[in-house]
This record gives sequence, structure tokens and C-alpha cells, in this order.
Amino acid sequence: MTALAPIRLSSRLRANQGVLVVAALLVILLIFGAFISDRFRTTSNILNIFEQSTGLALVSLGQTLAILTGGIDLSVGSMISLLSTLTSGLIAGKVSMVLPVAIGILLLGLLIGICNGLLIIWLRVHPLIVTLGMSAVLQGIVLLYSLGPAGSVPPSFNFLAYGKVLGLPIGAVFILVLFLLVALFLRYARLGRYIYAVGDDEVGARLMGLPRARVMLTVYGFSGFCCGLAAIYLTSRFSVGQPYTGLNYTLASITPVVVGGTLLSGGKGGVFGTLLGVYLISLLNNVLNFMDVSTHYQLIAQGLIVIAAVSIYVEKKKRV
Amino acid sequence: MLNLSGISKSFIGVQALSGINLDVRAGEIHALVGENGAGKSTTIKIVAGVYKPDAGQMEFEGKPVQWARPADAKNAGIHVIYQEFVLFPHLTVAENIYLGHERRNRFGFVDHARTRQDASDLLRKLGVDIDPQILVSELTVADQQMVEISKALVHKVKLLILDEPTAVISGREADLLFARLAALKAEGVAILYVSHRLEEIFQIADRVTVFKDGAHVATKDIGDVTRDRLISMMVGRDLKDIFPPKKPKGEPGKVVLKAENVSVEGRVRNAGIEVRAGEITALAGLVGAGRTELAMGIFGGLPMSSGSVWIDGEKVDAITPATAISKGVGFVTEDRKGQGLAMFLDVAANISAANLSAVTRNGLIDRRLENEIARKEIDNYRVVCRGPATSVATMSGGNQQKVIVARWARTSRKVLILDEPTRGVDVGAKTEIYRIMRGLAGEGIAILMISSELPEVVGMSDRVVVMREGAISGELTGANISEEAIMSLATQHPTGKVPTAEVLAQ
Ligand SMILES: Nc1ncnc2c1ncn2[C@@H]1O[C@H](COP(=O)(O)OP(=O)(O)OP(=O)(O)O)[C@@H](O)[C@H]1O
Ligand SMILES: [Mg+2]
Repeated sequence: MTALAPIRLSSRLRANQGVLVVAALLVILLIFGAFISDRFRTTSNILNIFEQSTGLALVSLGQTLAILTGGIDLSVGSMISLLSTLTSGLIAGKVSMVLPVAIGILLLGLLIGICNGLLIIWLRVHPLIVTLGMSAVLQGIVLLYSLGPAGSVPPSFNFLAYGKVLGLPIGAVFILVLFLLVALFLRYARLGRYIYAVGDDEVGARLMGLPRARVMLTVYGFSGFCCGLAAIYLTSRFSVGQPYTGLNYTLASITPVVVGGTLLSGGKGGVFGTLLGVYLISLLNNVLNFMDVSTHYQLIAQGLIVIAAVSIYVEKKKRV
Repeated sequence: MLNLSGISKSFIGVQALSGINLDVRAGEIHALVGENGAGKSTTIKIVAGVYKPDAGQMEFEGKPVQWARPADAKNAGIHVIYQEFVLFPHLTVAENIYLGHERRNRFGFVDHARTRQDASDLLRKLGVDIDPQILVSELTVADQQMVEISKALVHKVKLLILDEPTAVISGREADLLFARLAALKAEGVAILYVSHRLEEIFQIADRVTVFKDGAHVATKDIGDVTRDRLISMMVGRDLKDIFPPKKPKGEPGKVVLKAENVSVEGRVRNAGIEVRAGEITALAGLVGAGRTELAMGIFGGLPMSSGSVWIDGEKVDAITPATAISKGVGFVTEDRKGQGLAMFLDVAANISAANLSAVTRNGLIDRRLENEIARKEIDNYRVVCRGPATSVATMSGGNQQKVIVARWARTSRKVLILDEPTRGVDVGAKTEIYRIMRGLAGEGIAILMISSELPEVVGMSDRVVVMREGAISGELTGANISEEAIMSLATQHPTGKVPTAEVLAQ
């Protein structure tokens, strides 16, 4: 049996070949972009890409953990709409309100996420259903609160979206740090390990006495928290929140996760792939912009990328 | 250590256990035997806190206990190796072994280097050579079982329960397991051991308890029972001949399945085999010798790097399972949960799954016809279930196996390949599966049986092809078939050297 053991490359690395493909695609797009336009190559454009990817990166990060457990969070879009509308609505132009509202929004995001988690645990209903329901509830609430843009934020608030540290966009730096922290958590914390285990084999996890409830609360709570961050960021970027800010984010947040190699069935993948996926999509949109094609084509291109990417990851069935 | 009295448990429509008693003492190996569906696994799941009993008392270490969840039983020192493994395919071997008991450094973070090191020490202590860094999904079933066993050694357990641990391992690995169990027993661990392999029960157990139809039949010291007595207590009648008579001597059958020069990347090299009509050909060898891979390659389920296949004299290029099936070849896989049954469908749907056209009328599935067929097969195979509409997920392992054999036996007009057809099947049902296999052969079907159980190979086959390290090492027929002859072909190395992966890859 030893004689027949497969070649001992690190199994993980081989399993994640797909991520390399995404990285390669990134490079190809970069080179392609450099060819078609001089302006593409400018530092400011590259920083611009990073800047544009911040919101998507935040939501996708939370989404990655939910999908790793074999679930999904379909409430992110409405959650962002609600939280961003509340952000500008409650700050209402007052500088003194910025900090308390920001903290409150993050806590509220966390709380909604934990509600998702609790419902999933108690009702034993698939997360798809729970979060889909939650999404409708939240969308209803935000429309009750306001039918259009609400309140405003002080001009200095756009620092979050457009400010720079050491010449780099704040959002982009924050994203890198946050992704790194979550990657470390997944790798070095026991709970991180359990996230993979629950996604890999939920019944097995129960038989082994692993803390499924804690896992669910953590990932959905975290996803809610990420929506809070995204909401604040987007409010800063657009200077005001409105009830449809997050509309596209539900589906958009799943794309980079899948493109980044995380299995929709859970148990395999990671946040690093998601980050690459986010950059790939932002870069693609940017390049298409330079090519002067309409945004409709951007959508089409995105869709094709998702399908192509997923086909790379499909586990080649070993037998029958 | 463990004392169950009057435990009952019913599932919707099934009384799985009715008032059973069981006591397991510290420092003993207590065997639990019974037919498929006798309630052995259900008992285990109650002890493990997976199911709550409807009635009865459970005492652990002299105190009455009630588990609310599996974690409670685990924390109390009960470790279970389930019939269906609890392994996480996308985690590595080391991560699986220490799942729930992560190796951590001073700061509370998971210590990957130590996890790896400890896992490799543990596996070495067990006596197996498995790379702790490999993903569990890449291991053979036998190796997965060894990983599953090593999980029991991670922390001190008071009661170790094993549900058919030797269903997928044999020979050396089984001996390693028994040695480990003996050591644990000496340390005072109580061991509850479920198995359908009676030989090993006489080899390792101190006492044995027999269940039948969810009831307790007897508990005896192993010295006080004979094999025949045990069997008759299990099945409720005397079983005289386990194996049906073989094909009478005479003309060998016509070759219907022929493969030459088959190689499967890293697993099989240049193997050829012929399977004849009306005969049962066994493919024997140690677990990991490449038997499944060879058969799968021929069936088209695994890519062959070289080789040709003839079905009924006709060469089939680029074979896929679909073409194989359409040409009358069937394959009963060894892993019924993963590759065989649709666990959520009912018995009727599973039986007709490989040949839906047989039950399709005017483009629609005729459920009446499907159920009728299922009822016939349930009788034929004596499947214990509530009828055609029983969901297979709720059936005992042995009965699931009968369903899958029934499915393929219906569609395979020429060749039926069975990979470990009686794994996890009780003696009574085994006899029936043997009878059916012989009956199919009698109808002129060529049967290829992969088996690790030597008595089964010797008792059933007209011809035995032995594999070793990915290659065919010999063929035996008629009176030459004996356990010794097979073992020597399965283990001997003419060069005195174990071939390495590089040699095999050539
Ligand atoms: N979850 C369930 N739902 C409904 N019925 C069940 C369930 N689990 C077990 N049963 C039924 O309870 C009975 C006992 O099953 P159990 O799995 O304990 O048998 P077993 O002795 O372990 O058999 P085997 O040797 O085949 O593993 C069977 O009739 C089975 O169909
Ligand atoms: Mg069982």
C-alpha cells in the first residue's frame, strides 16, 4: 500500500491549483490592460481599482465563511441597504454623531447576523431559506424607514472612502489587514478548523461533538458585521445611504467566493482565493471601462467568468 | 463500566430495540453480534448520545446517565468508531485525527507542526504508514479506517465502541487493530465490539452478546459457545451450508469479459483478466492491491492509461460506465453510501435506478410497476424493510447491500462485477447473496467478485485471479483454490523486494 501511495506533494497545494489559475488570469488582464491604454498603467488607476474593490471585498469576506460552513448568506444586500441608510440617516450631518452611529451600525450588523445564526440553529432550516427571509424583512424595514436617500454625512466622512495612508487608499489597506486576520483565524484558531469541519460533513461534526452552534453564530454574526463595515464604507463613498445601496451585493458577493475556489457545498476554500476573486472582478470591470464597452457587457463578462471559474474547480470525480 | 437495562427505541414504524440489556466491564472486549437490522448500531448510537432511548436505564461508571447530545457521551470518556466513518474528506489526516482535540501552542493557537508530528507518531504507534499531511479523501478505504481507529488513541477513553471496524480492512491491518485493542484492554478500557466476522470474535472477545430483532438473546463467555451455536442464536435456525455448490466440473465457460494490458495510473500495471459465462471468478489480494481500480478501469469508471477491453468478443474502445452498462455489464461498488445508493430515495427507486427504461411507460415512470418489481426483489433477497417505499437511509447496512445487489442483478445480462458484496452483511444474508450469485451464474452470467475474505473466495469461486501490488500475480482454478495458495500469491515477492512507486509508475 505504501508503494502505491500517491506522490507526496502537499495535498492542499494540489487541491488549490484553481487559485493559481485565478492569479494567472489576474496577471493576463493586467498585461492586457497595459496594452490597450496608457492611462491604465498609471498608479492612480491601479489605486482606483483597489478603492473600487473595497465594498465588494468586505461583503465577500463574510460570505466566504458562511459558504465554508456549507451555508450561504442571502441577506447581505438588504442588510447593507438598511445599515447604510441608517448610517446617513442617523448621523444627519452632525460630526459628533459619526463615531456613536458607526459603532452602533457595526453592532446592529453583528446582531442581525447573530439572529440569522440563531434561526438557523433553532429552526434547523437551511441557511438559504432563513437568510432569504431575513433579506425580505430587512428590505421592508428600510423602506418603512425611508423611501429614498436619508440624512447626510459631514464632508470629512468621505475620508474613509477616499483617504490615504502612506499614499495608499485606507480601504484597500484595511482590507488587506482584515483578510490576513481572518486567514490566520481560519488557520490557527480551533473555531476556524470547525468551520471547515461543519461544512465538510455536518452530521459527522455533530457525531464528534463539535460546537456547530458556535460555528453558525460566528460565521453569520461575522457576515453581518462585514455588512456593517461595507455599509459605512459605501455611505462614505456615495455621501449618503439609500434603500437600494446594497441591491446588487447579494449575488455579487458570491461571485468572488466561487471564483476564488471555495466550494459552494462547503468544507473547502479560503479567504485568500476570495480576495483574488474580488480583484479579478474589479480589474475586469476596469479594463472593460477602458475598452469603452457598456456596462451591460461587463455583466455578461462577469457571468461568463463565474461559469468558467467554477468549471475549473469542479472536483473531478475519481470514479463513475 | 456500561450497563443498559430495558432499553427500547422505535423509529417511525420500526421497533428497533425492545427492552435490551447489555453490560460491558472495564478491561474486557465484549462482542455484540446479530443479523442485519438486529439493532446493534442503534444500541451504539444510544450509548453515544446520538439517539435518546424511549425507555430503559443507562448507567455509566455506576451512575445513571442521560446524554442530551453526542458531546456529553464523548466528554464522559466514550469514543465510538461508527460503521459509517466520521472523517472530513477535505481536511488532512492529521487534522482529522486531532479534530476536537487540536494541538495548541502557549498562546492557544493551533500548532500545525505539532499536530503533524503527533499524528505521525500516533500512526507509527498503530503500525501503519500513512502520510499525515495527505487529505483524507485521497486515502483508500482501509487507510481511512486506520485513521478512524487512530482517533480513538488521541485521548484517554474509558469505553471504546467499534461498529464493524474490520468491514474494510483485512490481514495485517486487522492484526494491528487487534494488537491495539489488546493493549487498551490491558489498560482497563472497556471495549464493545460489533462484527459479522465470527472468526475474529472468537479470536479477541472475552464475552459475546447476541441480539435478534431488537431483543437480547444471550450473553455468554466466549469459551462457552461454539461458532455454530452462535450462528443459530443469531439467525434463529441452524445454517448448514453457507456456500452453495459450485459449478460442476466440465467445459470452462465462454469468455464474455476480457481485458488485456490494463494500467491505471499509480494503481494497476499491465493487468489482464478473463471472466467466463456461468462462472464466478474471484479477484483476490490484499486491500490496496489494486483490485477495485482494475475492475473500475475495465468498467470505464477510472481512466486507464493503457489497455483494451472486450465484451462478448467485441472490442470496446474508450469504455465509459454508460457503454459498459448498455452492453450488459453491472458494477456493485464497495462503498455503498458514497457511490451506490441514493440514500434519500426509497427501495423501489433504488432498485430500478440503473435501468429506468424498464419501468418507463409512455415516457413516464410507472410507480406501480416499479413497486411490484421492488416487492418481488424484497422477497427474493429477504430484505428487511417496511416495503418498496422505505427510504434506504433508514435501513441497516446489510439490507442496503442487498438492495444494491438486487439493482445490478436485474440489469446485468452478461457480466456482474461485485466489489466486496458481503461487506457488513450478516451470515444469514450472506448465504442469500451467495445463493443469488450462484443462481445468476447458473443463468449464464459471468460474475467477477472482488473479496478480501478468504473463506468467501475459497467457498464461492470457480476461478481465482490474485493481484499483488497492482499486478496480476497468479490464477487458480478448481481444486487448486485454497486460502494458503491465495495468500502466498497475494504476498510473495519473487525478487524479495517490495516494488516502489517509481517501479509501478513505469
Ligand atoms: N434513523 C432510522 N430511522 C428509521 N429506522 C431506523 C433508523 N435507524 C435504524 N433503523 C431501523 O432499526 C433497525 C435496527 O437497525 P440497526 O442499524 O441498529 O441494525 P444493525 O444491527 O446495526 O444492522 P447491521 O448489521 O446491518 O449494521 C433496522 O430495522 C433499521 O431499519
Ligand atoms: Mg449496524
